Amino acid sequence: MAINLRRSEAVIREKRLKSVVGYQGSIKDLANKSQSGCLKNARRGFSQAANCSSGCAQGHLSTILDAAVVNHAPIGCAADVIGANTGFRWGQNIRNWEKRNVRIINTNMTESATVFGGGKLLKEGIREAYRRFNPKAIFVTTSCASGIIGDDVESILREEEEDLGIPVVPVFCEGFRSQIWATGFDAVFHALLTRIVKPPEKKRPEMVNVINFTASAREYVKEMFAELGLVPQFGIPYSTIDQISRMSEAGATISICGTLGGYFGNGLEQKFGVPYVTTLQPHGISGIDNWLRNLGKVLGKEKEVEDYIAKQKILIKPELDEIKSKLKGKRVVVGMGPSFSHNYIRLLEDFGMEVVWGMAWHFDPQHDHGGLPHCTMELAKKERDIPASVSDQQNHEVLNLLNKLKPDIYIGRHPGLSVWATKMGIPTIMVSDEYSAFGYKGTIDFGYRIIDVLTNNSFARNLSKRIKLPYTDWWFEQEPFIFLDDEELKKNAASS
Amino acid sequence: MRQIAIYGKGGIGKSTTTQNLTAGLGEKGKKVMIVGCDPKADSTRLILGGLAQRSVLDTIREEGEEVGLETISRRGAFGIICVESGGPEPGVGCAGRGIITSINMLETLGAYTEDLDYVFYDVLGDVVCGGFAMPIREGKAQEIYIVASGEMMALYAANNICKGIQKYATSGGTRLGGIICNSRKVDGEKELLEAFAKELGSQLIYFVPRDNVVQRAEINKKTVIEFDPSHTQADVYRGLATAVDENDMFVIPKPMKQERLEEILMEYGILDA
Repeated sequence: MAINLRRSEAVIREKRLKSVVGYQGSIKDLANKSQSGCLKNARRGFSQAANCSSGCAQGHLSTILDAAVVNHAPIGCAADVIGANTGFRWGQNIRNWEKRNVRIINTNMTESATVFGGGKLLKEGIREAYRRFNPKAIFVTTSCASGIIGDDVESILREEEEDLGIPVVPVFCEGFRSQIWATGFDAVFHALLTRIVKPPEKKRPEMVNVINFTASAREYVKEMFAELGLVPQFGIPYSTIDQISRMSEAGATISICGTLGGYFGNGLEQKFGVPYVTTLQPHGISGIDNWLRNLGKVLGKEKEVEDYIAKQKILIKPELDEIKSKLKGKRVVVGMGPSFSHNYIRLLEDFGMEVVWGMAWHFDPQHDHGGLPHCTMELAKKERDIPASVSDQQNHEVLNLLNKLKPDIYIGRHPGLSVWATKMGIPTIMVSDEYSAFGYKGTIDFGYRIIDVLTNNSFARNLSKRIKLPYTDWWFEQEPFIFLDDEELKKNAASS
Repeated sequence: MRQIAIYGKGGIGKSTTTQNLTAGLGEKGKKVMIVGCDPKADSTRLILGGLAQRSVLDTIREEGEEVGLETISRRGAFGIICVESGGPEPGVGCAGRGIITSINMLETLGAYTEDLDYVFYDVLGDVVCGGFAMPIREGKAQEIYIVASGEMMALYAANNICKGIQKYATSGGTRLGGIICNSRKVDGEKELLEAFAKELGSQLIYFVPRDNVVQRAEINKKTVIEFDPSHTQADVYRGLATAVDENDMFVIPKPMKQERLEEILMEYGILDA
């Protein structure tokens, strides 16, 4: 489905991609339903706090080095800044930069603003951001409060832009718009595509836009790409407005994460003709093979890619064999965003582990460029069907499940959940770095990491002895998905 | 495509006037869409011959976000396309946000097709919050007509509405096209409205006399032009349609102080002792 760049708002994932946050079944069933248009979102009778798309938008924007963010919202919406700042400091740390805080201003809408309108506060916020940070662009994120009272953000920003002479760009990400926090990322990319990225003055066919988060493995990627005669341009985080504006000059766009990269990659292709390389994520051997081969196909570098892959395969073979022998048959549960989850399931199965359950924090039955996500399709082709579910975290559901499955290890992304598996006594790996298990070296490193955590599980063991979980025995006796309003499940239960 | 917003005191006759005026435009062969922006969802009853239409917001609430254009827009008399935003029941929710959501939905669904000559927004009487100004935001209605009568409250409301219009007009492209008088048979009404409009810097674009045939047509769920096409009142509405169609006076209104409004009322309203 084409991305609509004529509107000022990105269409939310629920509408654009028919994405869901409630499902229980298996990978093959999920793939089947998605491809026949039958995937229905199951609602929950009981739901715990999830995440807000506004926080994602704000956090992602604040990583643009010479921009400032004005969050037009009550002060509570600024709570997400803490996480954004932590992440930003980590990114600066691994680059050996002098650390500074994120540049986010919150307009502190109080009751008075909701009654009389927040226009004045917004203008003040923009002026303050300009004065304090001297940015090359200001992004204004909206909130539930500003949305309900109907502040005409667009025309206020237009006036400010005329006065200040820099782009002052609205980013519509009210929390109530979408239950899927990835919509916040889409809102950011929409703003960049419509207001920052410029038509290319020249083309740089050797440049490849790499869509990611913190880019911890940028040296490794530069090395890899150099063998193919290519130069990576990492973004959006840790790049400048100027760099982003010239992403239209690239020869191609590729992403570390299928969920993150789709909107921007497809948007660049649609608006500026930069091909988006659709591929598996480069995690695990089959993943990196596919990533590089598809990149090579788009840029006519097939031979260079095959030469590189052949060399790497020889290099890693002994260690890969050792890892597979040590991990064979180990039972693992995965809990991550949809693209990461289904890609990691593949790499763990490739290690010879048994993925006893795969959870995704939402699911997109189709990409922006159409079709079921590759990573899901790959899994559906396997002989063994893998049990799967979709939930916007929902700790109570996850912990109940883990309690029943008792895997050897839990591997997850997103804080606030992984630690609970540890508290249950299950060895856990929290994958916060998006480049963990990246490429040939990364896969080997990750394999060893799993072995280490399995071997030395004393942390989980000792912690669980000292922690009383906040769940009743009653809850752990229930079916984990009892709150999921799934008609089919009910039908099956009724007939059995 | 001309996008026009109709404002005015609650109960002054906006919906009646809009539907009768668009009937005149439709009869002339113009392609018209009416977007009702009132939670009461009663802006298209005379064109559709009844209040059966499902509103945009009701449809979103009942069927989730999977709304198709066919469900929410219907064609009525003179080929006029009708959409009702709808909104919450009295006493709950936020109707202003409802208008924002509804108009956004229409834009996303592509309701504003190239072949339309006119889009009319019939907006709830008191523009009490940001949401009700949605139709006059940048990129939507560039022309506004305020329906008023010679009664003080109607003029007070019209003047108040001009404050809002002035704000949006100075930063965007929207303009006041004129005042439409929906007569209440007040003494010296026409002269009063002319003076009022002039003080605002605008014009009394048309004077619609009061006539029972309007009520009779309403009870029969029709516009006058459809109900009794040869009646003089039908010609009145045809005249109004032409006046709007040919209008070229668009201004940023200059709302007046309360004292000045009362001066004008004294001068024109109660002339004969």
